Amino acid sequence: MNLRAGVALSLGLAAAPAFAESGQVWLARMGAALNNSSYVGEFVSESAGRSERLAITHRVRDGVVSERLVSLEGARRELVRENDEVVVYLPDQKLAIIERRTGRSDLMGALPQFEGRMASWYKVDWVGRETLADFGPTAVVAVRPLDGYRFGYRLWIDVDTHMPVRSDLSDGSGRVIERLRFTKLRFDDDIPDSAFEPGLDRRKLRWVRQSPQNDDVAPAWRAAQVPPGFRLSMSGMQSVAGSGGPVNHLVYSDGLASVSVFVQQPVAGKAPAQGTSRSGVASAFTTVVDGHQVTAVGEVPPRTLKYIASSIRPVGAAPEARPAAAANRRD
Amino acid sequence: MTDRIKEQLSAFLDGELPEPESALLLKRLERDDELRGALSRYSLIGAVLRSDGDVPAARQVAARVSAAIAREPVRPAGLAWIPGRAALTRGAAGIAVAAAVAFGAVLLVQQVPVGDAEAPVAVMALAEAPPVQPVVDDAGPLDAPAEPYVTPPATDAPAGIAPAELANYLVAHYGYASPLVRRSVGAGLISDDDPALVEAAPPEAATRP
Repeated sequence: MNLRAGVALSLGLAAAPAFAESGQVWLARMGAALNNSSYVGEFVSESAGRSERLAITHRVRDGVVSERLVSLEGARRELVRENDEVVVYLPDQKLAIIERRTGRSDLMGALPQFEGRMASWYKVDWVGRETLADFGPTAVVAVRPLDGYRFGYRLWIDVDTHMPVRSDLSDGSGRVIERLRFTKLRFDDDIPDSAFEPGLDRRKLRWVRQSPQNDDVAPAWRAAQVPPGFRLSMSGMQSVAGSGGPVNHLVYSDGLASVSVFVQQPVAGKAPAQGTSRSGVASAFTTVVDGHQVTAVGEVPPRTLKYIASSIRPVGAAPEARPAAAANRRD
Repeated sequence: MTDRIKEQLSAFLDGELPEPESALLLKRLERDDELRGALSRYSLIGAVLRSDGDVPAARQVAARVSAAIAREPVRPAGLAWIPGRAALTRGAAGIAVAAAVAFGAVLLVQQVPVGDAEAPVAVMALAEAPPVQPVVDDAGPLDAPAEPYVTPPATDAPAGIAPAELANYLVAHYGYASPLVRRSVGAGLISDDDPALVEAAPPEAATRP
C-alpha cells in the first residue's frame, strides 16, 4: 500500500470526500504523514534576511523516531534525535551537546486536534489549491491565531504525500517571519541506521550533557498568571550548559505553541541579563524575580514570553497558574 | 565568510597560522566587521574549550592578537601626512580587533566566578557585542495576506541574554517546541550564522558513553 492510500485509510478519509477540502482534514492528513513517514530531503529555511539549506533524514520504525538535520553550509553543524535524546554537533567548536528528555513529553509531538479549547485560540482555514513548481498541486491551509499571544502558520500540503512541503510562520499581523520549503523530498522505508551517524569524527569532540535531574523534586516556581489558553504541561529540574547549577524547567503550552521557563540562581560574578533576544523563530525574554534569573523561551511572540516570565513566583508565594481572561486584543 | 577563512581564524587562535598568513589575516580583519565578530566568538570558544573556563586562557588569545599586531611593520615616518590616515585606520582597526577578542574574554568573565576582570577591556567589549536578531511584535490586521514574502533584515539588537546562553536554553526547549515549528527551531540551532552554544561547560561535561 502506498503512503497516500495508507494515510487516507488510517484516517478513514478515503470514503469521506465531503470533507476533502477541509482545513482540519488536511491538517489531520499532514499529521499522519509526519508521524508515519520515513523520508530523505533538503529544505531551505529563510528568516530575517538569511537563507540556509539543510538536509533532513527522518525515519519512523517500530514507533521509534530518528531524525538527522544537517546544515549544508559552513561548518555543517548537525542535530540528531532518537526518541527522547537530542544531540547537537558543532564541529566548528569541537563540541557536542546531549539533551535527554524524561518520558513525560512526546518528542514526536503529534499535531493537536484543533477542536475544543484549541478552537478558542486558533482558527483553521482552508485557503485553496496551489501548484508549486517543485512538487505540483498542494492544499493550502492557514492556522490563524485569534489573539496576539501566538504565531500563525500557512501550510502547503502535497496532495499526494500529505507532507508539508512549504510552511510560513507569521506573526500576529500576518507578516511572514520564517519560511521553510522543501527542495527535495524522497520517501524511503529502508533508511539504514548509518544514515543517522554524524558526518564527523566524534572522538575529537567534547561532550556536554544537558539532562533532567531529580524528577521527584517538587518544582519551586510557578507562573502566577499566563496568557489565555496556556497551561503548565511539564516541570522538573535539569542541567543547562553554562548555567552553573540545576535549573528549574517549566513548560507552558496552549496545545500548539509552547514556552519553556528556566529559573536559576544567578551565576556568581555575572550580572543577570534582562531583556529580549531572538534566534530564528524562537525568542527569549529574561528578567529577575526574587534574585533569580528567569528566562522564558519559545516559538511565540515576545509579549507572551514577557507575560509568563514576569509572573513567575516561588511556589507558595502565588496561586497556581491561571490563564488570563481571553481577549482578542493584540497588545 | 568562507571555510578557508574560518580555518585560518581557527589556526591563528591556536597559534598555528604561519606568520605571513597571520599578517594577511590581520589586514583582512581591519576591514571586515564580520570577520572581527567571528574572531571574538572563536576566541571565546577556543579559550573555553582549552581551559574549562579559565579566564587567563582567554587573555592569552587576546595577547596573541596583540603580539601579531605589534609584529606588523611600522610605516615610514616620512609618509606620515598621507599614510597617517592609514596609520590611524590601522590603529583604530587594531583596537577593534583587540576588542573583538577581548569580547570573548569579557563573556568568559561574566560566565565564571572570577573577580579580576579589567574594566577597560569590558568597555571595549561592549561595543563589539555580536548582533542578535530583532524582535518582531507589531500589531496589524489578522487577515493580512502572507504574500509577497520578503524576509525582514536584521537590525540592531535589543538587550537580552547572550546568544550562547539562548542557544543552550533552546537545546533544552527543542523537545517541547510545537510540532509545526520544531524543525525550524532545530534549523536555528545548527544555523551557521548562529552563535556558539556553550560558553562555560557545566560540571557534568563528559565523554560520550
